[in-house]
Amino acid sequence: MSRVLGELAVLDDVGPPRRGRAYPATGAASALLLPALLLLGGLLAWPVLRTLHASVTTEGHWVGTTHFRTALSAPDTGAVVGRTLLWALVVPAVVTVLGYLLAAASRRPQEGGLVRLVLVVPTALPLVVTGVTFRLMYDPDPERGVATLVAAALTGRPGAAAPQLLGPGLVTVALMSAFVWAWVGLAVLVFRAALDAVPPSLADAVRAYGGNRRDVLWDAQWRPLLLRTVAVVFTLAALGTSRTFDLILVMAPGSVRDEASVLALRVWQTSNGATTGEGAALGVVWLVAVVAGMLVAALFVRQAWPPPRDPVEVAPAPAAPAPRRLTRLLAVGAALAWLVPLGVLLATSLHSTVDAAARGWWRGPLSLDSYRDLVTGSELWRTLGFTLVLATVVTAAVLGVALLAAYPLAWLTGPPAQATGLLLMAASIVPVQVIAGPVNEVLGVVLSSGTARGLALVHVALGVPFAVLVLRNAFADLPAEQVRAARLGGRHWWSTLRLLARHNRPAVVAVAVLEFVQVWNDLVVGLLFSGPGAAPLGLFLAGQTRGFVANSGALAAGSVIASVLPVLLVVLARRQLVAGLVAGGLR
Amino acid sequence: MTPAGRLRRRTLLRAAVAATTATTAAGCAGADPAVQVAVVWNGGELARFREVVKGYGSGVQVISAGNDIDAFLRARKLAGTSPDVAILPRSGLVIEYARSGWLRELSPASSYAVPPGMADLLSVGRRPYGVWVKAAHKSLFWYYPSTVPDPPRTWDQLVALTKRLGARARAGDGPAPLAIGAADGWVLTDWFENVLADVATTEEYEALARGEADWRGPPVHAALDRLAELWSVAGAFPGGGRRALLTQYEESVIQVVHHRRAVLLFEGDFVDDVGRRFQRGSEQVETFRFPASRVADSPLIVGGDAAVAFAGSTRGVELVRWLSGGSAFTPWLRAGGYLSPNVSVPLAEYHDPVRRRLAAELRTAGVVRFDLSDRLPGPLTGSDGVGIWRIMQDFFADVTDGVTAGEAARRATRQLTTEAARQAEAARPTESGR
Repeated sequence: MSRVLGELAVLDDVGPPRRGRAYPATGAASALLLPALLLLGGLLAWPVLRTLHASVTTEGHWVGTTHFRTALSAPDTGAVVGRTLLWALVVPAVVTVLGYLLAAASRRPQEGGLVRLVLVVPTALPLVVTGVTFRLMYDPDPERGVATLVAAALTGRPGAAAPQLLGPGLVTVALMSAFVWAWVGLAVLVFRAALDAVPPSLADAVRAYGGNRRDVLWDAQWRPLLLRTVAVVFTLAALGTSRTFDLILVMAPGSVRDEASVLALRVWQTSNGATTGEGAALGVVWLVAVVAGMLVAALFVRQAWPPPRDPVEVAPAPAAPAPRRLTRLLAVGAALAWLVPLGVLLATSLHSTVDAAARGWWRGPLSLDSYRDLVTGSELWRTLGFTLVLATVVTAAVLGVALLAAYPLAWLTGPPAQATGLLLMAASIVPVQVIAGPVNEVLGVVLSSGTARGLALVHVALGVPFAVLVLRNAFADLPAEQVRAARLGGRHWWSTLRLLARHNRPAVVAVAVLEFVQVWNDLVVGLLFSGPGAAPLGLFLAGQTRGFVANSGALAAGSVIASVLPVLLVVLARRQLVAGLVAGGLR
Repeated sequence: MTPAGRLRRRTLLRAAVAATTATTAAGCAGADPAVQVAVVWNGGELARFREVVKGYGSGVQVISAGNDIDAFLRARKLAGTSPDVAILPRSGLVIEYARSGWLRELSPASSYAVPPGMADLLSVGRRPYGVWVKAAHKSLFWYYPSTVPDPPRTWDQLVALTKRLGARARAGDGPAPLAIGAADGWVLTDWFENVLADVATTEEYEALARGEADWRGPPVHAALDRLAELWSVAGAFPGGGRRALLTQYEESVIQVVHHRRAVLLFEGDFVDDVGRRFQRGSEQVETFRFPASRVADSPLIVGGDAAVAFAGSTRGVELVRWLSGGSAFTPWLRAGGYLSPNVSVPLAEYHDPVRRRLAAELRTAGVVRFDLSDRLPGPLTGSDGVGIWRIMQDFFADVTDGVTAGEAARRATRQLTTEAARQAEAARPTESGR
């Protein structure tokens, strides 16, 4: 999710040009773009071209649209494409509506902050962990799966005949519920930031003219700000659904893979490690859809009325009326509901492996056996250590490359700035499954042996576009005096850069935290590019889901251990995250 | 590309990612002379294999590539970082890689002796490209003797027992007759192979495995009819067919050994691995052979893992030769849970009584058939949601959902034929390009 968070800043930037100030560009500064250009060119642009090429050729021979026709005529391609679209429309709608309602309901500072904290925790979890959690809840055995137990009670049927949430009929609904659970916190944060940015004087004015609640919502919130925020949140969630891959891999049993399949999974299944023929054709279809979606969203956001940017920060509104009791109950109820999956995961991890597999987490004696088995083995420590080093190294590299590139890019104004923005944004949403084969070829040319560094390189290349965008926007939004002072104070470009970075601490922190969490939580990059001795955490957990029930104790314990660091980071840095990413508004 | 060009690109990219990435690289690659082996195993099996290679003279680095070892090796091949040796779970892969020119020809150790026919499965044009290093006996039913005093010896007895126990289970008066992990497609293909081996002649079975026979032919129909006869018995599975389709293999073992919700479980010799972990009480599970039409004809389906050496690796060839020798796997034999494909290994070496008996069966069985789905070409070989795995799951869903046996078999054979044709279509230009 973290990369998508970055797109917030991006979408925000695609609006009308707002940077009138021209920095003097220097030829030397352009050289700073080189590392980023090499990475993006070699590991994104070139592979995309290779995939396009592979989709119309077989071993170098032109075959026209054959691959597309074969891929699209496969028995259930239609269903897969339809399901992908369903994901991209239904899930964002639910996330947006829930996000707005909960943001509005959690306004009261006393419990509102706590409610938002609870909602934010799932956004920091690796999707693999979310998948494990919901699969535990939805287990078809009413003696283990609490959701099945409740469903049996509600429908009045015996346990064996209860609706199967992971069965072919409902598996997509089950997956979507897990996704919504993981994403609403993000929407709430964004809406809350937007609502806080609406000047309360506007609502007062509407009320003074005799407006009722609905008028306040319409004239003081929706028209000035919310329309645009809704568009941003909806787009974010829609683009985010291309990451359902991890969830499907973890949650859907083999027999319902087909009923759960989306393009991401289908491309991976047909590509088989390399990207050729049919797999490449499907990948191209997917790529075109994602980029088209992005462009439409960008246009939509552009047309929306830009928010008023009041240079004078308005003090928090003391006059805002307290939410009604019903809305407060809604907020508290949501927080409690959001805690249930976390509770299930924790409770399962507190049973021995045999108990966790054989009966429900609400029965049987508590024990730390599952944790003990894990921490006494060497595998967990190896993978934790590897992932920690990997995430740290990648974060440092991404920050370095992105800071260098953001510096000259921030000098751009007008159409070139917008064009770079769109290009970087497109680069940050290329689905990695589509370019896996060509990326491996490039890695083979660059690094003849050892693939831990290959894995790191891919992560760096995937992380750079979004980091550059956020930092570029932050640099470009700095008040002119600060930039001038920095340029006068620094003798060389690097001292200027350092001063600029210091003025932009929230953006730098946001980029660092998101990149670290992104790498830590990753499954798909590890799945496609891991190698000898390079077994990242996501892969370690996902590997055990093949025997899900038998491993549920170890999986739950491993999931809890894997989640501690990202949750801590995101919760501690959440203010900087919002400040650093919602470009402009807050400073 | 010239070495110089290669070097230049490398230097540029190194510079691009700054010193940090390079540090990990140095830390991870280093000057390590160990021979790299990629394996499918993890957990306990991986630990055992590490013990095995300790006995090899020089250093061996074992990499667990997990179940997606095919994708892993293809990616490594593209990147030019193939390991020296890989241990593959399917013979079809060995043939595919060998035909693509990825592998080196091997010369097995003199003590390497596998049941007749098995060695040919790893050869292309009479040249061996792989050796069997681990076998799996895939024709076993597992049960507690106290629940089935008189195990069925023929297929008809098995059906009768299933009907009797099924009726009892439906009345709420006892466990279901069968546990089945139908969420894992390979469990269903293992069922199919055992039945097919009984109803089809050797030639018919082999032709299907090579992808040459017509899936609409009589043997496949007869095998599917037979499966439908058993699977459609009311109350056959705990929770019914829909529930069975969400039951993974490990859970089906737990249903028998722990919950005792079901009486019989069909699967390979590896069941005892999960069985031991979840067993309740002191009673030990026993096995009987997958029953055929006649007692004497019980099929024996064998699966296995094969070691291959990648092109350009001399040390890989040496390691594979060593692995093919009779004594290399002694530590694993002693620890239990290992069945050697090598019939020259003395039975006395087996410390694990179940495996010793199975190893004897491997020697005395009239005809050993090799796992069919492992040999099918391309994606038809199956994985989650793909190929024969998915087709068998659809068939299972049909017959447990009241679709008649004839109709369900027709649907399955049609799917198999279409899928095989699609693959032949997709493979054709590739073949001509070679």
